[in-house]
Amino acid sequence: MPLFLLQFVQLLCVSVLAGIFGSLVGLGGGMIVVPIMTLFMGIDFHVAAGASIIAVIATSSGSAAAYVRDRLANIRVGMFLEIFTVLGAICGALLVGKIPTRTLYIIFALVLLYSLFPTASKIAAELRVSARRGRGAESGVPDRVSVALSLDGEYFDPAQGRNVAYRLRRVPLGAAVMYVAGLASGLLGIGSGAFKVLAMDGVMGMPIKSSTATSNFMIGVTAAASAGIYFSRGDIDPLVTAPVALGVLAGSFAGARILPRIAGIEIRIGFLVVIAVIGMQMLLRGFGVGR
Amino acid sequence: MEAVEATISLVLRGGVILSASIICLGLVLLFAEGALANGARIDAAIAYPRDATALLAGLCALDPVSIIVFGLLVLIATPVVRVAVSILAFACSRDWLYALITALVLVLLVAGMYLGVAVR
Repeated sequence: MPLFLLQFVQLLCVSVLAGIFGSLVGLGGGMIVVPIMTLFMGIDFHVAAGASIIAVIATSSGSAAAYVRDRLANIRVGMFLEIFTVLGAICGALLVGKIPTRTLYIIFALVLLYSLFPTASKIAAELRVSARRGRGAESGVPDRVSVALSLDGEYFDPAQGRNVAYRLRRVPLGAAVMYVAGLASGLLGIGSGAFKVLAMDGVMGMPIKSSTATSNFMIGVTAAASAGIYFSRGDIDPLVTAPVALGVLAGSFAGARILPRIAGIEIRIGFLVVIAVIGMQMLLRGFGVGR
Repeated sequence: MEAVEATISLVLRGGVILSASIICLGLVLLFAEGALANGARIDAAIAYPRDATALLAGLCALDPVSIIVFGLLVLIATPVVRVAVSILAFACSRDWLYALITALVLVLLVAGMYLGVAVR
């Protein structure tokens, strides 16, 4: 097989997997695509990063079309929190060069790795509860801010065969975490899906499936801003990016069909693995290992 | 509210299907040209049109790379168009608070793009 075609097919296959995975856990799939391109295919890091930003937009738009229709993504929460991520991303981009990149990688890596503990204890708690019986509606006390902004939501969960209604809490703190997510993305040029899911699921108490679906709804907007810059700098290689875009789109369509049908706890376990891997990747980069 | 969700979903679906179709068309033309079957790497750096004039010229000439670039630009524009259309959708359902919030996001997004270009 000609080398060009072989590499095309390799990129397409990896991207389908990245699209499925990314659309399930609420991030762009860059953590899968970039290492495979740079380590195994010998593609330059800048080219890989450019393709990765397009992968984020493809995952987001491809899966959110279904998530928004199914009410799994909460568009009000997404739109409201986008103010803070975009603001953070702009501030981050303006601060580039002011703080050493390696220090930043270490700080954000430690934040992610620290969040393993609450995520793991949630999984443990869910295992205990589901051993007794399925959970009741996650209602709780109404939160003033959440009510004022009508952020509380409801969706039909085919996996449980019932409607799940939820209320959000600690909205200002969640918004602050979103700002930090934007900062990280602007400063380091990384996707910030993991931080977004942590803000919604961990801080605001949104169900995990809604959190990853809403994160997917949001990440495309943040990425589109940086993609324009990448494009005008000539950092988007059209031939490398074309199979990535097509593969990720196909994968995200599939992922959006899978997410409603699987249990929240499985998503949370997948997400735990993701933050462990991204946290380690960032820590290594902070200590100057790899790119 | 239902209408807002339906509209957003439609914009996203339309954007990705349009962009994927354009990229596929470009790839078909690229493979039909057969110019890359002689052992070239996929990341052999190629020049691509980066401004509107060059892109338009490439599209008129049915240049495969220009067509692929156009498809990628449609993909990049999809989330931005989604935000812009959301403002109208919220306004149509008289949800003024969210029309305002969404407008603020769009302003920040456009400001960010200008700042980003200016900074770099």
